[in-house]
Amino acid sequence: MRLLIVEDEEKTGDYLRQGLSEAGFVVDLARSGLDGRHLAATGDYDLLVLDVMLPDVDGFSLLRGLRASGSRVPVLFLTARSAVEDRVQGLELGADDYLVKPFAFSELLARVRSLLRRGAAPVNPDFLRIADLELDLPRRRAMRAGQRIALTPKEFALLELLARRQGEVLPRSLIASQVWDMNFDSDTNVIDVAIRRLRAKIDDDFEPKLIHTVRGMGYRLDLPDA
Amino acid sequence: MPEAARARRPASLALRVIALVGISMALVLAAFSWISARALDRHFVEMDEAELRAVAAAVMRAVEEAPAGELPELAPAIRGHHGVHFLLVDPGRPGESVLPGHGPDLARLARDWTPLAFDGPWPLAVWEEGGTHYRGASIALPQRPGLRLALAMDIDTHEHFIREFRRIQRWTFTLAMALVVAVAGLAVRWGHAPIRRSNARIRAIGSARLHLRLDPKAVPVELSDTIAAFNDLMGRLEDSFAQLANFSADIAHELRTPVTNLTTQTEVALGQARSAEAYREILYSNLEEFGRLNRMINDMLFLAQTENARDALQREGVDLAATVRDLFDYFEAWSEERGVRLELAGAADPIQADREMLRRALGNLLSNAIRYTPTGECVQVSLSDAEEGVRIVVANPGSVIPAADLPRLFNRFYRADPSRRKQGAGAGLGLAIVQSIVEAHGGRVEAASDAASTRFSVFLPRG
Repeated sequence: MRLLIVEDEEKTGDYLRQGLSEAGFVVDLARSGLDGRHLAATGDYDLLVLDVMLPDVDGFSLLRGLRASGSRVPVLFLTARSAVEDRVQGLELGADDYLVKPFAFSELLARVRSLLRRGAAPVNPDFLRIADLELDLPRRRAMRAGQRIALTPKEFALLELLARRQGEVLPRSLIASQVWDMNFDSDTNVIDVAIRRLRAKIDDDFEPKLIHTVRGMGYRLDLPDA
Repeated sequence: MPEAARARRPASLALRVIALVGISMALVLAAFSWISARALDRHFVEMDEAELRAVAAAVMRAVEEAPAGELPELAPAIRGHHGVHFLLVDPGRPGESVLPGHGPDLARLARDWTPLAFDGPWPLAVWEEGGTHYRGASIALPQRPGLRLALAMDIDTHEHFIREFRRIQRWTFTLAMALVVAVAGLAVRWGHAPIRRSNARIRAIGSARLHLRLDPKAVPVELSDTIAAFNDLMGRLEDSFAQLANFSADIAHELRTPVTNLTTQTEVALGQARSAEAYREILYSNLEEFGRLNRMINDMLFLAQTENARDALQREGVDLAATVRDLFDYFEAWSEERGVRLELAGAADPIQADREMLRRALGNLLSNAIRYTPTGECVQVSLSDAEEGVRIVVANPGSVIPAADLPRLFNRFYRADPSRRKQGAGAGLGLAIVQSIVEAHGGRVEAASDAASTRFSVFLPRG
C-alpha cells in the first residue's frame, strides 16, 4: 500500500513517515503543496494524508484539483483548526475523513487502515477465527478452545471490533465510538474496565493471551509475537 | 459596521426638543397675532360703522324735519361728528353738502355706487383717495325715494394704529421666538447635565477599575434604567474579565505541571545510558502524559468552539430517556466495578437538541456523579417536563460541597477539592463543558448539595 503525506511541518512529517512506514506502508512525503500536487498527480497512491495549512498551495485547493482531474484516491485531512467550516469544506470537497491536531498516532493509524479497507471489497465473514478463539457473527456467539463463552451484547461487540481489526492498536476513543457510539473523550477508565471484564472471560483461563494493552495507546487483539 | 457607519445618525436630542418647542411656539404666536389683529380690525370697522350710522340717522332726522321738497339745513345735524364727510344728493337737483375740510369726491360715490338700504347690513368699502384712506357707502334714504346719502370717513388714524400694532406684534413675535429657543436650548443643556456627568464617570472606568458602578439613585428617574442596564453589563464584563484572566493563569498552571514532568523525566533519562527496557518505560510514561495534555487541549478547543459557534448546533429530536440509557450502558461496567448503581426515574418529552453534544454533557455529569459516589450507593437521574422545556437532575450521595463553592464548580479548571487532582479526575474542564453545552442550547445548569445528595439540575428548552 502506497501513501502520500503532504505536511510542511518538518517534525510532524518525519514522524508520520516513520510511523506509517513502520506500520508496513510505503510512504512518500511532500513538504509543500506544490510538491504534493505533483506527486499526487503522477504517483499511484492508495491514500493521501493531507495537511490543510500549507504555505503555498493549501490542502483544500490541492484536493479540489485532484478531484477535478477525476482522481478517487481516499484523502485524510489533518487540520489544526477544529472550526466546523473547515471540516464541512473539507468533506464537501471530497475528503474522506479528517483528524484535528493534536491527535494520537494510533488514532491516525486506525483511520488510515479503515479508509484503505473501505476501498477494498467488503469482507463480511460469518466466522472470525484467531488462534482457538472463534466468533460466530450471525449468532453472536464466542467460543474459546471449543468452550462456549457467555458474553453480554456489548462485550461481544467489543470483541468483534478487536477481532475484525486483528493486529491493530485501537485507541480508547475509537473503541468508545465504535462499540457505544460515544464520540467524546471521557476522563474515566470505562474502556479499561470493559476490556478487563472481557479479558476475564476470554483470556484469563486460556493460553495464549489474545488481548494486549499497548500503554498510552490502546488495545490490540492478536497472537502473541505476531 | 460600515453599513451602520453609512446610515444617517439620528438628530440630536437637543435639536429635536428645540425644533419641537420652536415650531409649536411659532404656531401659537402666529395664531394669537392673527386673531388679535383681526379682532382689532373688526373693532374699528364696527366703530366706524356706528359713527357713520349715527351721522346717517342725524341726516335722516333733518330730512324728515325739513319742509317737503326742500333740502334740510344739515350743519347742526352733524355737530360733534368729526372726520365724517357726507353728501346728500337729489338726482334731480344740484348737490348740496357739508364738507369739513377737504374730503373725497362724494358726488362720484353717490352717482356710481349701488346704494345700500338704510336698515340693512352695511358692507362698507375702503378706498384711497388723495393719499388718505376712507371707509364709506352710498345709502338710499327711505323717506325720500331717489334721495342718496354718500358717507365717508377718514380712517388714516385707524390704519396708522393698525400698522403700528402689527409692527409691534412682529417684534414681539421675533423676540419671543428667540427667547423660547434660547430657553429651550438652555433647558435641554441643563436637562442633559446628568447624562454628561454619567458619561464622565463611565469614562473613568478603565479595565483595572471594572468594579466601579454608577448610582442609579444619583440620576433623574428617566436615566436610572439606563444606568441599571449599564451596571448589569459592567457586572457581566467584570465576571468574564476575571474569568478570562484566571483562565490564562489556570492554563499556564495546568500545562506547567505535565510539561515540567516531561522535561525532567526526559532530561534524567538522557543523563546516562540505560537499557532499551528502561527507555521504553520512559517513553510510555511520556506518552501517557502527552495523552493527558492532548485531552486537555481538545477540551479547551471544544469549549472555545461551543462558545463561538452557538448557532452551529445540529438540532434533531432527542429522546432523553434513551440517551440516558445509552450512557448507563456505556458507564455500566465502570460503575459496577465501583459498586455504584445507576437509576433512571421519570420521563420527559423529546426535545430538539444536538445529540452528540447533549450526550457529552450528560456523560460528563454522570461520570462525575459516579466518581464521587461511595460504594454501595446509587446515582439517580430523573427526568421531568418543565414549563417550556425539560429538567434533568443527576443526583448522587457523597460528601457535601460547601454552598460557596457551588457556582464555581462550573468554572474551568475548578476543583472543589484540590486533592482530587491526583485521582485522575481529568483537568477540571468537565463541568465547564457541561455548562457551555447547556447554555449553547439556551438552557441552564445549577448545582445543589446537602447531606442527602449532590444534585446537578439541567434545564433545557424544548427546541
